[in-house]
Amino acid sequence: MPELRSEGLAHVYRDGGVRALDGVDLVIRPGERVVLVGQNGSGKTTLVRHLNGLLRPTEGRVLLDGADAGGMTVAQLAASVGLVFQDPGRQIFASSVRGEVEFGPRNLGRSGPELRDAVDDALAATGLGGEERTNPYDLGQSRRKLLALASVLAMRTPVLVLDEPTTGQDARGVERVRAIVESAASAGRTVIAISHDMRFAAEVFERVVVMRGGRVIADGPPGEAFAPGAWDGLRSTYLEPPLSARIGDRLGLGSTPTDAALIDALRRSDP
Amino acid sequence: MTLTLAGVGYRYAGASRPSLLDVDLELPDGAVVGLVGPSEAGKTTVCLVASGLAPRTVSGQIRGRVLLDGEDVDAWPMHRLSARIGIGFENPSTQLSQVAGTVFEEVAFGPMNLGAARDEVVERTWEALTNMRIDDLAERDPGRLSGGQQQLVAMAGLLAMRPAHLVLDEPTAQLDPAGTRLVGEAIARLAAGGASILVAEQKTDLLAEVADRVVVIADGRILFSGPADETLADPRLVEAGVAEPAPVRLRRAAEAAGLDPARLEVPLDA
Amino acid sequence: MAGRVRLTDPQPARGLPDFLGRPGPTPVHRLNPLTKATLATVTAVAAVALGGLVGPILLVAVAVLVPAALARVLGRLLRLALLLALPIAISAFLVNLFFFPGAERVLLRIGPITATAEGLEFALQILVRILAISGAVTLFYLTTRPADLVVDLERRGISPRAAFVANASVQTVPAMVDRAAQITAAQRARGLDTEGSLWRRIRGIIPIVGPVILGSIAEVEERTMALEARGFTRPGRRTLLWAPADAGLERLARWAMVAALLALIVARVAGIWT
Repeated sequence: MPELRSEGLAHVYRDGGVRALDGVDLVIRPGERVVLVGQNGSGKTTLVRHLNGLLRPTEGRVLLDGADAGGMTVAQLAASVGLVFQDPGRQIFASSVRGEVEFGPRNLGRSGPELRDAVDDALAATGLGGEERTNPYDLGQSRRKLLALASVLAMRTPVLVLDEPTTGQDARGVERVRAIVESAASAGRTVIAISHDMRFAAEVFERVVVMRGGRVIADGPPGEAFAPGAWDGLRSTYLEPPLSARIGDRLGLGSTPTDAALIDALRRSDP
Repeated sequence: MTLTLAGVGYRYAGASRPSLLDVDLELPDGAVVGLVGPSEAGKTTVCLVASGLAPRTVSGQIRGRVLLDGEDVDAWPMHRLSARIGIGFENPSTQLSQVAGTVFEEVAFGPMNLGAARDEVVERTWEALTNMRIDDLAERDPGRLSGGQQQLVAMAGLLAMRPAHLVLDEPTAQLDPAGTRLVGEAIARLAAGGASILVAEQKTDLLAEVADRVVVIADGRILFSGPADETLADPRLVEAGVAEPAPVRLRRAAEAAGLDPARLEVPLDA
Repeated sequence: MAGRVRLTDPQPARGLPDFLGRPGPTPVHRLNPLTKATLATVTAVAAVALGGLVGPILLVAVAVLVPAALARVLGRLLRLALLLALPIAISAFLVNLFFFPGAERVLLRIGPITATAEGLEFALQILVRILAISGAVTLFYLTTRPADLVVDLERRGISPRAAFVANASVQTVPAMVDRAAQITAAQRARGLDTEGSLWRRIRGIIPIVGPVILGSIAEVEERTMALEARGFTRPGRRTLLWAPADAGLERLARWAMVAALLALIVARVAGIWT
């Protein structure tokens, strides 16, 4: 499992000249579960697109296990870093669910039983096992998103990057995504997600990176990132701390980023 | 002008099964009704039927009746209905006409189509822009706005038609927290001003703030409905696959841990 | 919701915003689109109808270069018109210079082919006409906003639906290019090789073209619904917020141009004027 590192990473978009990343130094250790939060335009998407080479640094560099990603093509990096885009409508082309999921692993050279297993596992994890022959456009929008997720899961990359995986999902869909993250993490894979669902971020990830204006303004476990002292920073990038954190603060119970933490703290404060 | 769906069933053209069965729903003047349910439960279909797009634009077979103040609108053409019922969708950018260089022209698109006198078109457009608090965006290019802003422009475009009812199909689904707040506040303002709104949403926290009633739908049927507070706290909600509002969820977690949920009732800053 | 939704403060009456239908920077820009279209068409046809070399050159000077200078777009016009005409102009010029049939006066011999004086004369005539047409079209393009033209046509009677199609078509290409770029990124992230051998790159087009087309089609239904929800299908005229001005003088000028052109054509056909 590779370590991902960015050193002084900056990126200026050619059209418009926007400095979307302004010097980001980040180390993501193998097997970490990291979530990037921050308003649109804070640089989250720009950052993750450097991890698989879709974007190249204007300044600084990205290292994959010590090797400069600049020397690798996107196709090469895709074997290590699987990126799931937010909008499934911008990738689906096959006429069947199975065909769509096979695309990624096939590009990586998988075939035969290995390919079959990878696809079967991905379909099972996203609950699409019964829809193998269905035309993707006959699936509802939320299941199409799960299809996009499955098609990258099947690539079995050591690093998985998810861009807004819970947007547009109902409660069950969110649970599925959560289960996928947890199962990937327990298999030792690194999971990096972009999310604006603060509850999802606090409950599922062990590290929260808060971005604003192309920079990292906070980086730590949920307990720190959502602690009352960090709220001004969060609000400056249009984020609200989870309800459990706000109630916990009101009751003087310290940092309670998740439901469980709040309940725990309440119990402990019982006389 | 009450909008009523009476015993409505709907099957899309070419579909093997109906998407809606025996749906009864009422949207009286000034009411905000929230529609919740898991994905593909039929929320969008309800919205399309209520607005008349189904079966006119989106072909299919409809059963039951759709009534406006008791009158069956079955024979009404789409443009007649669109002046009375506005419908908004979740994708902010596909709702833009793409032929307007400015937000003003975008919002004026509807009234222009209705053939109203020019002064009236201008008046309605300013009125809608002001309601959505986007007067300052009037000169901007709609294609370059954020998702949340585009949704506001789309809603202003609907308001400019002066509809009696507004149907919103997951308006915040594709928006970030800033956009969700913008749209949520706009809906709350409209609601406070007495607008009739049917809003389908996954974000039950949002509905807890603005809805008077909530209807729960799953597998094309209405499971149950009632006043917003009660329905959103109903244990059957989670069973139906809908996430409860955060305060309800926390209360339940406290109860499950043997703690008094009342301890969680603390005033929070806005 | 008429009267239902109350505004927080009473608003002062606001009229048509002044950023709509803002007049162009020069009098040429401010001419009615139909006038400019007529000028471009008449110039293009007249350039072909006029005989000789002097006529078309004068025409270009008067009908293309002078208005361009007045509109302060002369530099851009020359660059664009030349760019537009270049491929055709070069080949037409060379073909006629070297291969004009029945030519006697030799100017230059390069191996088996010869440039002739008759060929040169004819080639120049063709060149001037090509440049005239290219210049006329470019002048129109540089001084007229497409939206203005469509609004003017709609005011004159084309249906709102036709006007919509005209306007929306302009949007289609950039939207598709944008979509193709996003799709390419998504497919590359799944290992599609766009940097490898040519063959691989050709194969790679399929997973991109598919979603571009399918996605555009899928979007059409959503867009149609949104349009219909705003009364798009109401039959008949719609109200226009503004339309480009049209002066009586311009109308006269348009008729005069067309009449002059017809007279020229008749004169040429009747052999009165060569």
